[in-house]
Amino acid sequence: MTLRKLFFLLSGVLLGTGLLAQDRAVEFEQLTLDNGLDVILHQDKTTPIVAIAVMYHVGSKNENPDRTGFAHFFEHLLFEGSENIERGQFDKYIQDAGGTLNAYTTSDVTCYFEILPSNQLELGMWLESERMLHAKVEDKGIETQREVVKEEMRQRYDNRPYGTFRMEALKRAFKKHPYQWPTIGSMDHLNAATESDYVNFYKDFYVPNNAVLVIAGDFETKQAKKWVNQYFGTIPAKKGSFYRPEIKEPALNGEVRDTVYDQIQLPAVIHAYRIPSITEDDAYAIQMLNRLLSQGESSRMRRALVDEQEKALAVYNFADGTEDPGLSMTFAIASAGTDAKDLEAAMDAETAKVREELISEQEYQKLQNQIEASFFTDNASMFGIANSLATYHTIYDDANLINTELEKYKAVTREDLQRVAQQYLVPDNRVALYYLPKPAQP
Amino acid sequence: MNFKSLLYLVVALLATTALQAQDEDFRKKAPEGGPPPRIEFGEYQQFKLDNGLEVIVVENHKLPKVTFQLLVDVPPKAEGDKVGMAGMAGEMLSRGTENRAKNEIDEAVDFMGASLSTSSGGAYATALSKHKETLIELMADAVLNPSFPEEEFEKLLQQQLSALALQASDPSYISSTVSDVLTYGEDHPYGEIETKESLENIKLEDLKEYYNKNFKPNVSYLAFIGDIEVDEARSLAEKYFGDWEKGNVAREFYPRPKAPEAAQVALVNKDGATQSILNITYPVNLKPGSDDAIVANVLNTILGGGLLSSRLNQNIREDKGYSYGVRSTLQYDKVIGYFAAGGNVRNEVTDSAVVEMLGELKRLRTEPVPEKELNSVKSFIFGSFARSTERPETVARFALNIARYKLPKDYYATYLEQVEAVTPERIQEAAQKYLLPDQAYIVVVGNAGEVAEPLERVAPVMMYDKQGRPLDKAGLTVPEGLTAMDVIENYIEAIGGREKLESVEDMSMTMGATIQGMALTMKMKQKATGKMAMTVEMNGSVVNETRYDGEKAMVSAMGQKQVLEGEDADAFKSQAMIHPELSYDKKDYELKLTGAEKVNGEPAYKIEITSPDGSKSTEYFGIESGLKLKAVTVQDGPQGSVTVTNSFSDYQEVEGMMVPFQTETEGMAPVPLTMKVEEVQINTGLEDAIFVVEKE
Repeated sequence: MTLRKLFFLLSGVLLGTGLLAQDRAVEFEQLTLDNGLDVILHQDKTTPIVAIAVMYHVGSKNENPDRTGFAHFFEHLLFEGSENIERGQFDKYIQDAGGTLNAYTTSDVTCYFEILPSNQLELGMWLESERMLHAKVEDKGIETQREVVKEEMRQRYDNRPYGTFRMEALKRAFKKHPYQWPTIGSMDHLNAATESDYVNFYKDFYVPNNAVLVIAGDFETKQAKKWVNQYFGTIPAKKGSFYRPEIKEPALNGEVRDTVYDQIQLPAVIHAYRIPSITEDDAYAIQMLNRLLSQGESSRMRRALVDEQEKALAVYNFADGTEDPGLSMTFAIASAGTDAKDLEAAMDAETAKVREELISEQEYQKLQNQIEASFFTDNASMFGIANSLATYHTIYDDANLINTELEKYKAVTREDLQRVAQQYLVPDNRVALYYLPKPAQP
Repeated sequence: MNFKSLLYLVVALLATTALQAQDEDFRKKAPEGGPPPRIEFGEYQQFKLDNGLEVIVVENHKLPKVTFQLLVDVPPKAEGDKVGMAGMAGEMLSRGTENRAKNEIDEAVDFMGASLSTSSGGAYATALSKHKETLIELMADAVLNPSFPEEEFEKLLQQQLSALALQASDPSYISSTVSDVLTYGEDHPYGEIETKESLENIKLEDLKEYYNKNFKPNVSYLAFIGDIEVDEARSLAEKYFGDWEKGNVAREFYPRPKAPEAAQVALVNKDGATQSILNITYPVNLKPGSDDAIVANVLNTILGGGLLSSRLNQNIREDKGYSYGVRSTLQYDKVIGYFAAGGNVRNEVTDSAVVEMLGELKRLRTEPVPEKELNSVKSFIFGSFARSTERPETVARFALNIARYKLPKDYYATYLEQVEAVTPERIQEAAQKYLLPDQAYIVVVGNAGEVAEPLERVAPVMMYDKQGRPLDKAGLTVPEGLTAMDVIENYIEAIGGREKLESVEDMSMTMGATIQGMALTMKMKQKATGKMAMTVEMNGSVVNETRYDGEKAMVSAMGQKQVLEGEDADAFKSQAMIHPELSYDKKDYELKLTGAEKVNGEPAYKIEITSPDGSKSTEYFGIESGLKLKAVTVQDGPQGSVTVTNSFSDYQEVEGMMVPFQTETEGMAPVPLTMKVEEVQINTGLEDAIFVVEKE
């Protein structure tokens, strides 16, 4: 065997992953209606179901600073009904058809989706077109959903140990950009909202040229397109531009440090690093660094902090993946008897190591293998695929990233990882928070 | 102008300016669906290895992924003072084997981008299919050759203790802990809870013993799911699990937990909480594969099984805005199932939310569900079923259920037909059987200062600590210096005084009850010299006779007669006493005043009593009245220990003494018995002859 052949064989073993992914490419067709609505169709007849996702390019960052929480509140209101759907009937239609529905709101997008038996695709399109064309909300609905959202706030944030850590980090990391407030927003703002706020928000953002419709699953393409045109084709577009905040948050220029007292028993340490937009190449390096630090038992922080030093009960590294420059966070819960300071020193030692040393070939390959495997986990269901396509289209304007993203990860070198760590994972670029048990409050 | 009309205006404007003049009538009505698609159930193969391991293979090559699931069907066992042991044993399997250290296992799994986890009930692993053999070898190594390294055990123990501290502040965890203790009882395997003490009692040897006694192939199922051929699965199973040695796995039996007799609020205080976590719960006897299991699923879906349009969500969330969401569960189980309904609600509506939720339970019991609503729920169940077939793991789950619950082979294939056949009448029947608003524990974790008083109007409120132990309530504290004997003296005083009681030479009492339509009469005769004779008649004929002459006892029942002597007869000694309390200060009784609690709404002192023969009971004496309200004894029987609870009420005066004319007994018979006194006679000069026990 020649050396060249051997090399090919080896690279085949190590890098054969890309080939495999292409074998299993997610095929789709994309079109744009006259009113600007983008439509993506992915056909897969393995199971007789169909997933519909409508993603509006509006999130909490598009809110008026006096009306924070509005995008998410709106998501609740848009299940109330429409000109042709009575209050409370929206989900009844889906239930009677044997389907399921839900929605979510982030700082960048609001996404509504249904998963239906394949014979009920038209119903899903009708409902989504009603939501886009002439949603209707009654006073009773507003009052009730306001209470529901307040309960959501209490349940998810106030009444849950460490539940407020994200909002505490955001408000210290951003002073200008709307990312400073959380999606759930302010209850006072929701209380203060008036009729014109509702009408304007709907007019400004719930329009076809600010949305993408994705259909994934078991359908006939010709029929699906016909329905798309019928239900969505005549919905009027918005003229003029959309409010997308172009606010550049200045660099932190120095660590921001604070302590939060909560109803907890174990201290926690949060490091929130300012990072570039998810659409930047460096975002891939950051995702890889987060994996390196805490994905799997053998990851660096889990091994060092949880297993070897027994200073942490758990540690997580994750980036929110925001359209505008955002945050990557390390969240570590101290083991019983460990001081927050000691835990933080151990965390800092690990981030220092990725800044100071190249990661090993073996670790690099491990990251690539994990990313390859996660592709199949993310795209195992029709909803998963619909959601990925909608997100790639809305945020990156490139739905095909679902197939090419692995290449982006492959393009990140070990040197890139070190460079990105040196650039972003530094104390001057972070908010450091201690969560301490309440009785310790001075 | 309100918002609604304004929005109309906008819509109207848009409609006139932008919409093309074309027929938009199709928007007015929901489109009809096409013909329903056929729901295909994925096929699976099943075979058994020589060692008894059942293997299930679900082939699905859509994605290049495999999942391996090993289910070791360990029967539930109480862990006593070592709760948490089984969980730790399961964790330890992947923390070191005879071939690999923990680091090596972790590195190998992570390098493939795979996952591997082990638990007290088996193992679960996923990977891309190109790694299948590496993965199954790792999984088999963990399950078959664990080395239980001491160092890893110490680490794991510390982690468990930290995790416990973490959960201690989580109201949801507190709610589920207290619910478990109340629902199943703290001695039942399902009601045992981890504490710092129980974890610290665990030794490495305990974990090895758990593993050695329970991890056997003949109680296990191994599922291969995904991108793998049946033949390959078979040879991998043979190769890696074929040498696993079979063995007996012991089963243990426990008294069946029962719903409480009356609804009660169990309140756990969480200072500063802005929401209450509600959980309305009790055990239900619902078995997998039973006729009721499918009806129960439909019933629960109507009530609160996760739908936004469920009755609970419509009422509590959509109509009242009390909560972000409420849901209910009606869960079958091989041993004992449970009902639970709950959610998080803000402090000021806590009591209202409970009332509304209980009301929804009642409504399903009293009113038939409208056909339209039932059909809608059936559609939802059909749809969920169809959607779930998207994942090959679903087929494996069905196959595993069929195997371990011994269900008919076509159970899932005909599941939807059976759902279709459920009628409003069946739903109402099931509701009357399984929805018990008047016999529920209403567990509330919240701000006691704000919610306790309003909750009193729902049901009697008892305070509990985070581990489900009853607490003294404000106003129910035991006064400083009060002793158990003081409480007993109060009781003696309350029922007539020591002098009066000591003047009783003998007592005859006739009590009646009805059990399943039959009249039950109990005649009890006692003599102050420590003799007793009792007969139980059912519909006029004697079914049980017991005598005790102070030394020997005779029990005859169902034509069988037995004479007990010596130690065996000792238990009758205390039963023969007319007023054993009179001797509490003299003989070898041990008394302990352990707190104050409410009994059927009445504040009472709680006293634990150990008799000279070692038998124990807990008795409750009214703080105001001094009367005995309740006695709880644990008796050993052929089927294990049985807890018997007697509640006393309707005290009436008989010749200067107070006698409870009503006794409710729970635990003696399959259903609670209410016994009423028909006649009481005192000092009638009973002859010794009627107490005589003749040896055979």
